[in-house]
Amino acid sequence: MDRFPPLAVLTERSSRPRAAWPGRLGLALAALLGCWLFVVPVVVVALSSLATHWSGTILPEGLGLQWFRRLGDSDWQALYTSLEVGAVVATLGTVLGIWLALALEGRTRRGLGAVVDTVAMLPNGVPSVVLGLAVLIAYHKPPVDLSGSSLIVIMVQLALVLPFCYRSAAAALRPELKILREAAQSLGAPPAMVLWRVVLPQMRPAIRASLALGFALSLGELGATLTVYPPGFATVPIVVIGEVARGYYLPASALSLLLLLLSLVALLAIAARDRNADARGR
Amino acid sequence: MSRSSSPDARRRRPMAWQPWLLLVAVLGPLVIYPLARLLLLSLSGPHGPTLDVYLQFFRNPDMRNVLVSTLGLLAVSASLAALLGVALASLLFFRPFPGSHLLTRFLELFVAFPSFLVAFALIFIYGSQGALSIALQQLLHLQNAPLDFLFGFGGVVLAEVVFYAPVVVRPTLASLALLDLRLVEAAQSLGANRWRVARKVVLPLAWPGIAAGTLLCFLLTLNEFGILLVLGSARLETLPVAIYSAATVDLDLPSASVGAVVMLAMSLSLFALYRKLSQRQPGGMH
Repeated sequence: MDRFPPLAVLTERSSRPRAAWPGRLGLALAALLGCWLFVVPVVVVALSSLATHWSGTILPEGLGLQWFRRLGDSDWQALYTSLEVGAVVATLGTVLGIWLALALEGRTRRGLGAVVDTVAMLPNGVPSVVLGLAVLIAYHKPPVDLSGSSLIVIMVQLALVLPFCYRSAAAALRPELKILREAAQSLGAPPAMVLWRVVLPQMRPAIRASLALGFALSLGELGATLTVYPPGFATVPIVVIGEVARGYYLPASALSLLLLLLSLVALLAIAARDRNADARGR
Repeated sequence: MSRSSSPDARRRRPMAWQPWLLLVAVLGPLVIYPLARLLLLSLSGPHGPTLDVYLQFFRNPDMRNVLVSTLGLLAVSASLAALLGVALASLLFFRPFPGSHLLTRFLELFVAFPSFLVAFALIFIYGSQGALSIALQQLLHLQNAPLDFLFGFGGVVLAEVVFYAPVVVRPTLASLALLDLRLVEAAQSLGANRWRVARKVVLPLAWPGIAAGTLLCFLLTLNEFGILLVLGSARLETLPVAIYSAATVDLDLPSASVGAVVMLAMSLSLFALYRKLSQRQPGGMH
């Protein structure tokens, strides 16, 4: 998906035939429907976590922070686990994604390169529960027993996140940037120097996107994590699902909102750091 | 890592061992080995390798029902999501409205939103005690709350359409952006009405993006789990939830693995088709 220009750019085009599409009223209705379907659910999560009570009424009743104050040790533990797993998965995914992109640059069409490319993208096509089950079968008893450690959660999430990280790194290796690398190399720069001084600075936006996407996907992952997670390593989605199943909707909302804020903070922090780096002139 | 483009240098690539290392040391333990063990377990009976479990799986009427409901759900949800996504993309492209820019940005972020949270949020809106249901009850002076469809087929379809329509919007918008608008104008000036322009000009030209988006939508809908768990596990039996409960509730890994391999075969067929389709386009996805 990352090969496409951002959607915002696509819709900014000004010269467009004024096709006789539905009239003004129809347009307004369609716009409202779009907001109702896509925006309202996100607002609802935020709103319900602040409500004292929301069942059998149209609007939530009694706004307050009580559900956040009532979060217990297990909730905070889940947030900590999610944060930790997310950070590790995003970092490892980004490093491996860059390595894959560099190693396979220009050779994904045939031979070994095509095989490695396909296998790296494969988890995009595998249902998360199936991948979770496969990892559980492979690593739940000796010779390799990871069933009691958070490593099994990290492995399964890393496999799921890797295609996204690889794709954003590969999209950044554009042919016109390759000239700079070749120039550096022909001027005698050793490979390590080319990597640190030319390739990685070129890929900075892709690295940022990869870290943010890896973190957000890891935080929200449910199917595979639920299948493999060892006792004591429940992430936020698992705790939320448990509370929803028992009918504790409002505490689940509070925890979900913290999860969403966490991914938002990560996205903003990564964006802000890059802007500072730009301001300093790198 | 740069390579000169002369054919001579191309032949002796200094880093040719790297894909091997990645395949064996990274993708091996993460992807290949687990999937191989899954396949192996599904094929092993008490007396060596066997295909009996698969025969039993397809003969079992319960399992057939699960399979039918999974595929039925897929057909309805993914088709509706694709239609809505294409309609939405056309609206955003041809008739931008105040705030359409924001909505586009928002749809971009929607992909990073966890699906189970969408399902959860819908409970507050469409659940029998949710906002819409109560609003209708008060408006129409009904005795009971009118809406009771969320925990079942209808609710799962609604949640999957909401969650996966944005997936179709992006590739459709991308291929609409490549459209030569002079062709649309020419068709209009020659007197073609809007439906004719849409059917004869826009659709054929934007088809690759629409097809890729639709196929991706089918793949992701088939692989969906969170929505099924939240809204579907009570009244609707689906394959992903059946696999999950066989593995973690019944602790029956062998029978879970059979369902998982059947699921995997369907997903990977769609995945292969999707990759083939999107690699053929110049600006296509991976």
